[in-house]
Amino acid sequence: MDLVRDVLDKKLVDREQCDMGRASGLIMQFGEKTQPHITHILIGGPTLWMRIHPALGRASEKLARLWGPKSKEPVRIPWSHVETVGKDIKLDVVAKDTGALDWEIWIARHFIERIPGGGHEEEE
Amino acid sequence: MKKILQITLGIITSVGGFLEIGSVTTAAQAGALFGFQLLWAIALGTICLIFLVEMSGRLAAVSKHTIVDAMRERFGFPFFFFVLIGMVLVAFLVLIAELGGIGFALQILSGLGFPLWALPVSLVVWLMMWKGTFSLIENGASLLGLVTISFAVAAWKLNPDWSSVGASLLPTLPEQDKVKYGYLAVSILGASISPYLMYFYSSGAIEDEWDRSYIAMNRVIAGFGMTLGGVLSICVLIVAAIALRPKGVQVDTFPQAALLMTTALPRWGFYLFAFSMLFACFGAALEISLAIAYFFAQGFNWNWSENLEPSKNARFAFVYTIIILVSAVPLMLHVDPIRVTMLAMALTSATLPLAIVPFLFLMNDPIYLGKYRNGWITNSVVGIVVLISFVLAIISIPLQIFGG
Repeated sequence: MDLVRDVLDKKLVDREQCDMGRASGLIMQFGEKTQPHITHILIGGPTLWMRIHPALGRASEKLARLWGPKSKEPVRIPWSHVETVGKDIKLDVVAKDTGALDWEIWIARHFIERIPGGGHEEEE
Repeated sequence: MKKILQITLGIITSVGGFLEIGSVTTAAQAGALFGFQLLWAIALGTICLIFLVEMSGRLAAVSKHTIVDAMRERFGFPFFFFVLIGMVLVAFLVLIAELGGIGFALQILSGLGFPLWALPVSLVVWLMMWKGTFSLIENGASLLGLVTISFAVAAWKLNPDWSSVGASLLPTLPEQDKVKYGYLAVSILGASISPYLMYFYSSGAIEDEWDRSYIAMNRVIAGFGMTLGGVLSICVLIVAAIALRPKGVQVDTFPQAALLMTTALPRWGFYLFAFSMLFACFGAALEISLAIAYFFAQGFNWNWSENLEPSKNARFAFVYTIIILVSAVPLMLHVDPIRVTMLAMALTSATLPLAIVPFLFLMNDPIYLGKYRNGWITNSVVGIVVLISFVLAIISIPLQIFGG
């Protein structure tokens, strides 16, 4: 597998086919006796902006502390939850439980649901 | 039958994305200043657009990925972000121009100034997206947009010299005003080949759940839809050349443009022009706002669909809400939509390589398209047109700005 070509920036989809962002970074572990291996996929947050410039990464971290869902960023998904890597990456998780949809839910509750006709994010 | 009805996606993409304030203004100015001489630019833009739109639909039908999805995946986030900034800025300018076009149409119908219309118009566009579904937008805007066929009726009634119309399909240089001519050629190409139109169309193909069985129909839809837009733009130019040029009207302001059809259709021309602009710009405003929201949502893989309730794709709905409301502000402050249009069209041309070069790479990628990759004809046509518009833009825009 070519990590940059096949994993980075690919769509992440949960068990119920719900879109949950893109792979914005990877965590790799180097052991003394073991081969280097990927432990986590990172979603969104400073990791993404850091790829353009470290200063943007720091700015995004600061902004997230002042505003937004105040969740722990970036979201980390253990590599063991990866089911398949194809055009999209299928994960054996429920998107809402991972924190990947925290911004979606925050914007729904703070803005969209307050406008008439916006509906409710939790309704099926 | 379902596939044939998808022709509405072609019509809305074309009437909303092709024939809108940009094409009408640039074609009318070209006709008023240079007669039929710039017809070749519209023809060239139309041919290129047919290829580009067909490619956008094919990518979506085969790979189930839109252009934006594939661009982020293939070129990575830093490059995607660079394109996002460029495309969104240009599309935002075009959106201001379209909302201005609707406002102007309402101004000439009602007598109330366009700045007063800016906010109500943007609220109506927003409401249509907030409450409407993709097929309502697609079918409604296509049906209303058909009033623009009146441009063809007007051109027919003026009985142009068809042999000189045909001769103008080959480029020639004018004896004077070469800079203005180049600038208008760039603006016409920019007005025809709008990248947001490709993003909209490929997202529309996903919204309408296209698969490989749509590949042949996609060719018909792209060919028919874009030819319709191209022919109507050519008609605008013909009408301007016959009706406005002899009077020395230059179409720098909207009230001048409103006279476009009164020579051909003295009784109804004024109203037909106003309603054509109203519906074409309305379709365009919906299309651009959606295209911007699609761009963000697909690039970051948020939930997105015009068919979902807003809270089910909150970030997508948030983006179009903000974009539409913000774009009303310059109009309320009396910014001239015709000037914004001309600037937006020239900038579209200048930024075309940014949108199209990565797209050409994607269309040759076997991972996404397998055996449905581009052939050499498609690659050459699109490559040549992009090169022409880019060279023209580099030469003419600075000359126009600095040389007046």
